[in-house]
Amino acid sequence: MADVLKVSGLNKRFGGIVVADNIDLALAKGRVLGLIGPNGAGKTSFFNLVCGVVKPDSGSITLVGQEINGLPIRERARMGLARTWQNLRLFSSLSVLDNLMLGPRAYSADNLLDVVFRPGHVADSERESRERAFAVLERTGLAGIAHQPIRDITFGQQKLVGVARALMNDAQCLLLDEPMAGVEGQAYALIQKVVRDIAASGVAICVVEHNVAFIRDLCDEGVFMFAGKVLARGTVETLIADPQLTELYFGT
Amino acid sequence: MDYVYTILILIGLFVILASSFDLVIGHCGLISIAHPIFYAIGAYVSAMLAKEGGMPIPLAMLAGGAAAFAASVLVALPSLRVSGDYLLIASIGFQLGLIEFAKHIHSIGGAGGLTNIPPFLVNTYGRVSYVLLVLAIALLTVLFVRWLTRGPYGRMMAAMRDDELAFSMLGRNAIWVKVSIFAIGSGIAGIAGGLYAHYFRFLEPDQFGLLQSSAILTMVVVGGMRTTLGPVIGAIVLQILPQAITFFGLPPSILGPLQGLMFSGLVLVFMFARPQGLLAAPDIWAGRDSKERRDG
Ligand SMILES: Nc1ncnc2c1ncn2[C@@H]1O[C@H](COP(=O)(O)OP(=O)(O)O)[C@@H](O)[C@H]1O
Ligand SMILES: [Mg+2]
Repeated sequence: MADVLKVSGLNKRFGGIVVADNIDLALAKGRVLGLIGPNGAGKTSFFNLVCGVVKPDSGSITLVGQEINGLPIRERARMGLARTWQNLRLFSSLSVLDNLMLGPRAYSADNLLDVVFRPGHVADSERESRERAFAVLERTGLAGIAHQPIRDITFGQQKLVGVARALMNDAQCLLLDEPMAGVEGQAYALIQKVVRDIAASGVAICVVEHNVAFIRDLCDEGVFMFAGKVLARGTVETLIADPQLTELYFGT
Repeated sequence: MDYVYTILILIGLFVILASSFDLVIGHCGLISIAHPIFYAIGAYVSAMLAKEGGMPIPLAMLAGGAAAFAASVLVALPSLRVSGDYLLIASIGFQLGLIEFAKHIHSIGGAGGLTNIPPFLVNTYGRVSYVLLVLAIALLTVLFVRWLTRGPYGRMMAAMRDDELAFSMLGRNAIWVKVSIFAIGSGIAGIAGGLYAHYFRFLEPDQFGLLQSSAILTMVVVGGMRTTLGPVIGAIVLQILPQAITFFGLPPSILGPLQGLMFSGLVLVFMFARPQGLLAAPDIWAGRDSKERRDG
């Protein structure tokens, strides 16, 4: 089994709070791993550590065999790591389409010299990105609102835009932070289908989610996290059936 | 008539300065008010190269722009690597430090100023030719800023202003965008410096201080940040107003302080009454091709 992302001996504390306690975890190609745990368990922090938003105290993080610990966020993204954010972090002064247009690993205008001296090259690259963006918008059911500003669309649609923007990376590893929170109805089914399809295309996916039904239907496997520690790994059924974990999850 | 030409040249120069400053502070969201020091670098470098080095003046002006460009990278790169907030302090330090330094360098005129800067165009083709040159470069600057900010690079700047972390997570290089824009804006200010130097033919370090910083900032704020015409209108209004009140024939003891008060007064009035400036920028970024795409 090919591990796309491999984390070993990862430690991080904020003052007295331990958010990562010697975490060893691997994400395999084409598989969806559910990350379960109560609020404050360190799930989002785990994503932040993997992405380089937060620097670990110690440990190793490899993406397709390459050590990425110490690399800037943008370089990890350019190696094929993409994520969504619990609090969305969409570009609120851009349209849905323009949010996506910024997502490819290599952007049309990354180099200002190209913008000024190779406008034809930039225009070609823009056209390619726009086609890809529309393909992703089709797939996520957002094509009809491509030109809407972010603030004019529903929360469920915003969540989908977050996922769609991450998909523009064509990532090998995708981290989804609570994609279902606050989402109902149509968007729910859509997100589930999209995540499944992406995994089927060979992407390693990790989903943080409190919606138990969603995570049970979607994930091949789950890990239970508490106080920065990975306590158990198994099928989602066995994890949610475990009375000790349930107590930690719902406990005081 | 010379008086009118001089006013027109000053307006043109401040259109260049305000428009390029809006690129830096408005479009890119970089908090820095040290724009005049890059204007000064362009002015002094061009003046010295032409006066002491005998360089053809158009080349000297370009070299002045290049020097301002390079100096701005040296200021921005280390400070932006620390954090965005650090740029303000680093650039003001650079501005005031360099002004003090220049006052003690006799070879560039020291505190008394640099005189006898070689003239350009005026002696052969008359003042009108210089007016046209400055206004043409002002127009080019405004069009360039509009073109850049309404294209894919403008999309990046808008996204970066919204959320720099999410921007980085897409693989975009925020520091590189900031340094590039800071350098371009400063380089344009440097060109304006050369244009100033070879018309007025006299430079003194103190004219490039915080008073000028606040004048350029006022032009952008009053005109309207992130609009094409805002900095243009701001530059015109703030050049004309101080001239206009001289016609009331007030005694110099009142006139001086009144002109000084005008900048701070205008900024205060606008901050409370119309913070978006005379022209308000749309709050949704629109690329130059987004309208036709939507319609077509
Ligand atoms: N940058 C930070 N500085 C200090 N404490 C933090 C920081 N990020 C997270 N924490 C703390 O770490 C703990 C874990 O947070 P988080 O990873 O967001 O949990 P989860 O996503 O599992 O709900 C929380 O107690 C949170 O307050
Ligand atoms: Mg969280």
